[in-house]
Amino acid sequence: MASEEIVMAGFGGQGLLAIGKILAKAAMEDGREVTWMPSYGPEMRGGTCNCIVIIDDEPIGSPVVQKVRSAIVMNKQSIDKFEPTVLPNGLIVVNTSLIDRKVQRADLKSVYVPATEIAEKEGTSKAANIVMLGAYVGVTKIVKPETVEHAIEATFAGKRGSVGEVNLRAFRKGFDIGQQSAS
Amino acid sequence: MAADPTGVLTGQHYLDGNHAACEGALAAGCRFASGYPITPSTEIVERIAARLPRMGGMFIQMEDEIAASITLQGAVWGGKKALTVTSGPGFSLMMEHIGLAAMTECPCVFIDVQRGGPSTGLPTLPGQGDMMQARWGSHGDYEIIALCPESPQECFDTTIEAFNLAEQWRVPVMVMMDECVGHMTERVIIPSADKLSVLDRRWTTKKPGEYRPFDVGADLVPDMAKAGDGHRLFVTGLTHDERGYPVMNHKAQEKLVRRLVDKIRLNADKIAHYEEDQIDGAEVVVISYGITARVAQRGVQIARDKGVKVGTMRLIVVWPFPETRIRELAQKTRAFVVPELNYGQMSLEVERVAAGKVPTVLVPHGGGEVHDPEVIAEAIIKAARSVS
Repeated sequence: MASEEIVMAGFGGQGLLAIGKILAKAAMEDGREVTWMPSYGPEMRGGTCNCIVIIDDEPIGSPVVQKVRSAIVMNKQSIDKFEPTVLPNGLIVVNTSLIDRKVQRADLKSVYVPATEIAEKEGTSKAANIVMLGAYVGVTKIVKPETVEHAIEATFAGKRGSVGEVNLRAFRKGFDIGQQSAS
Repeated sequence: MAADPTGVLTGQHYLDGNHAACEGALAAGCRFASGYPITPSTEIVERIAARLPRMGGMFIQMEDEIAASITLQGAVWGGKKALTVTSGPGFSLMMEHIGLAAMTECPCVFIDVQRGGPSTGLPTLPGQGDMMQARWGSHGDYEIIALCPESPQECFDTTIEAFNLAEQWRVPVMVMMDECVGHMTERVIIPSADKLSVLDRRWTTKKPGEYRPFDVGADLVPDMAKAGDGHRLFVTGLTHDERGYPVMNHKAQEKLVRRLVDKIRLNADKIAHYEEDQIDGAEVVVISYGITARVAQRGVQIARDKGVKVGTMRLIVVWPFPETRIRELAQKTRAFVVPELNYGQMSLEVERVAAGKVPTVLVPHGGGEVHDPEVIAEAIIKAARSVS
């Protein structure tokens, strides 16, 4: 399988670092080399943050890259900042709940996801990040969806109530959107 | 000897460098830690504070880094292996007690997860600006050992190595991480306890009446006495004789401080630890460490793709500086290129040891992010052209 370099970006608190960790952990469980590298400011919430995940079959050199194959962007600042960094023929997954513009580059595959609305329908708007992750995995099939679901379960194990269930449903909704747009 | 299985979390894990360093410390037998949490090293303190009490160890959150850096030395003299953890501003506060550890030959480990400085600088972003401070930060003349891991796996491995070196040479050992290495999350394999090599303390075999705390043998390192076994012990930051008693004259100073320096300098080749790749026939050798070594790999590949013969040397033990090997390389290659997240620290050492035989090209970066690999590649290509 080809190597994958993906940036996930948005506001602090939207759960970008979390979905990056889930994706990398799932890929590791699939037997691949992974690295997850966060970048954030001092704020707990509201600042911008992003992480880069690299998945490869070979040992990974730099965990930080200037150009990426894919981007998941969850706010306006992030699409402005990271659209130009995606390699030609790359992928960009856009959270239309907070981003009101289209992708400007014609050489990218663009997937539009109303992540907050979908997550709300499944039980909580907090799962918008998981919807985005689902859409990305649905398009790329970079890791097996079952492995991601396993990583989601592990992440939310021990949380109160049905949080894990809600997130699994959010992932599957996102996955369906991704899969449809891939076909 | 093998590690105590109580502290060894055998298996495959998905850990950031900070958590991996914590596990390395526990596997090495660390059972005491003191700290004053500071970004970007907080995860180490969080984890060790939760883990230590469950294995009969102890963590104390102190009022500041000055206190943290002396508390761990108390634990060492009480018989424990001990750790403290900090970042930039906290590392500055620890300098006085790093000198005390060097003077009293207290085997202990300091982890500094480097961030952008000086002062408060960039708390959440990487730097490599504390490299010279690790070597020279306290007053007076002394030697320490410092290591630079490049990945979470190596944070685990080098923290064990740090504890072993501290016990063997009786110096404070620094693990000089950086924010990227501390926060990047990757696969970490922790072997079973019997596969890990862990050094015990150099306990004296002498009887209480015969033992003098600072008598040394051929390797210039004194043995330690177990608290409570009846040995007489006197430990002071003042210049002292073999009994540990203060002696205020130049002869005692020459004997003691010369030995503190020589025990590391004369054994530097034994302590050295580095990795090399494609050195034979290299026009340019890139010397780097920590996160910058990972980033430089891309720059090296770009330069190789353009036909430049590039070798690499990655420093794992940075202090003592591997003079012998770099002197040899200066005879083999035609230029050194040294990228680092500062405006020239380890590059000064490379330049000193190269002694004008070949040029040393610094690729500086103030920190806050890592190098653009293209910039490193350009420096390599330019260096190759200027010497061909």
